[in-house]
Amino acid sequence: MRRWGYCHVITPLVESMDVLDLGLGAEQRRRLFKFTDMRGDVVALVGERTVPVARLVAGKLRAAALPLRLCYAGPVLSTDEGRFEHRRETYQVGAELIGASGPVADAEVIALAARCMEATGIRRYQIDVGHAEFFHGIMDAVKLPDEVKAAMREALVARDFVTLEALLEDTPLESAEHELLLRFPALRGGPEILDAAGGLVRNRRSEQALAELAQVRELLVAHGIGDVVNLDLGAIRDFDYYTGVIFEGYGPDFGRPVAQGGRYDSLLEKFGRPAPATGFMIQLDLVSEMLRHALPRIDAAIAWAEGGLATALRLGATLRLFGMRAVVDTEARSEAAARTWWHAIGGANLVHCRGEGAVAWIAEGQRARMLPPEQVAARLAGGAA
Amino acid sequence: MTRDERVSIAVPTGALHAGALALLADSGLASLSADELGRQLLIDRDSVRVILVRPADVPAYVDHGAADLGIVGKDILWETPGAHYELVDLRFGGCRLVLAVPDGSGVDGPDTWPPLMRVATKYPRTASSWFESRGQAVEVVRLHGSVELAPLVGLVDGIVDLTATGRTLKENRLRIAAVLGASTARLIANQASLKTRSGPVQTAVARLREASGHAG
Repeated sequence: MRRWGYCHVITPLVESMDVLDLGLGAEQRRRLFKFTDMRGDVVALVGERTVPVARLVAGKLRAAALPLRLCYAGPVLSTDEGRFEHRRETYQVGAELIGASGPVADAEVIALAARCMEATGIRRYQIDVGHAEFFHGIMDAVKLPDEVKAAMREALVARDFVTLEALLEDTPLESAEHELLLRFPALRGGPEILDAAGGLVRNRRSEQALAELAQVRELLVAHGIGDVVNLDLGAIRDFDYYTGVIFEGYGPDFGRPVAQGGRYDSLLEKFGRPAPATGFMIQLDLVSEMLRHALPRIDAAIAWAEGGLATALRLGATLRLFGMRAVVDTEARSEAAARTWWHAIGGANLVHCRGEGAVAWIAEGQRARMLPPEQVAARLAGGAA
Repeated sequence: MTRDERVSIAVPTGALHAGALALLADSGLASLSADELGRQLLIDRDSVRVILVRPADVPAYVDHGAADLGIVGKDILWETPGAHYELVDLRFGGCRLVLAVPDGSGVDGPDTWPPLMRVATKYPRTASSWFESRGQAVEVVRLHGSVELAPLVGLVDGIVDLTATGRTLKENRLRIAAVLGASTARLIANQASLKTRSGPVQTAVARLREASGHAG
């Protein structure tokens, strides 16, 4: 994130409830671990890090010119164990771009999220991009009593399409908007769905959302991530919080999104410094779980016998300079014992150092070769490049 | 066929089992006999993998992505809300969740409820939120079976339980005092499956939807 000019900020794990009250909805507040501090004030362990960052921007960083590019990493907690895949605590890395509106800023944050997912080592991933205003526009356009609309919102947020369908069936009106709501989970695909949806919606808010999505998509192609981006008009998120482009990142064969983000233009004004904002977070513990079976392989296991330790340490340092993963053994071993150790820790190569001179190099599935250490380093690093 | 193209469906044992298998056959997704599935628990057919699990476990399999789709009673979903999508009312396995009291009990409508109502149920979450939303103080006793017995031995004022025909209630000299909700079998989907493998998953959803009697 540093390469994108995002400045790392550290926000506290324990926040005053007065601060969190400003930024969070009732449901989010309910899920916080709360207790009192020595003065008797109610404090809580943060359940997300965007609100603390917003407070920072409106407080300590008040004099800093916008836009601000900030990032953070830290644990967040929730009393509702289902919230974070049946654990109370999760580790989040995220970024916020505050003070910039429009598709260019939206696309920057989505591209950054994509690059971060890539950097974690996930090989195949995809990002679904939607727009909160598309939904708001439809809800505006549907002509129904407020209480029916409230029930529809509730059903949609609970992803209960059976109830939604029943509510819509009870209404005499038939409209393209009804049709769209019922097909919500299937409203995704490439740029062609923008046209398809554009033919169905008849309200300014939704049309504007579709136009913005088209721009964001084009920008993401320019960012070089067009092939991992899908458009998802049926993305269901916290619609009271998000005000514009929203997105989710998915890894292969994992039942939950590992990254989430979007535009939230109304949060900062609650802290007295109105500003448009967009951001995202990645749940690192979910990512590491996804990569459990794909841990980085060790490139070189370096063992040593009496008199070979200095050579082994030098070789390890050289290989790491070339970006390779090298592990130097912690005790002296014979070559036969070294082979056993090598198989136990895994690794593409075993190098056994016995003294200043030649070392034994064994690549997986090949027989040992005696070479000077610098030649082994050159061959290993050359192969890696 | 690779894992990516095959859609996995969790099918419950118990009351909905036969209906679920009939639906899978009608939709043309997979024709299986109950015996065959009962023996193997997991069967791969051309485009689907069918997994047999206990009714209450269906949401867990789907929420964690071990199954893309699941067939499950609405009564189970009331108790275990999750991150899945509830997509289709499959229109079989109909039953009601009711408050039942002994024939001789004075409990009937809300005005006859005691200040603190004691009920036994397998559905503690649904029961307590239903009473609480009506301003009624309730003590919920969670039981795992033979709930009908609890009021007869004086453990509770009434029970909250599922009934399809009302026969079991009648046999135990219980009568229905209130209906908490109606349940049928539902089709649920994993949230990520709908996004990352939407083609085959949406196709399967459409076929099950049609087979369950919905138009197009």
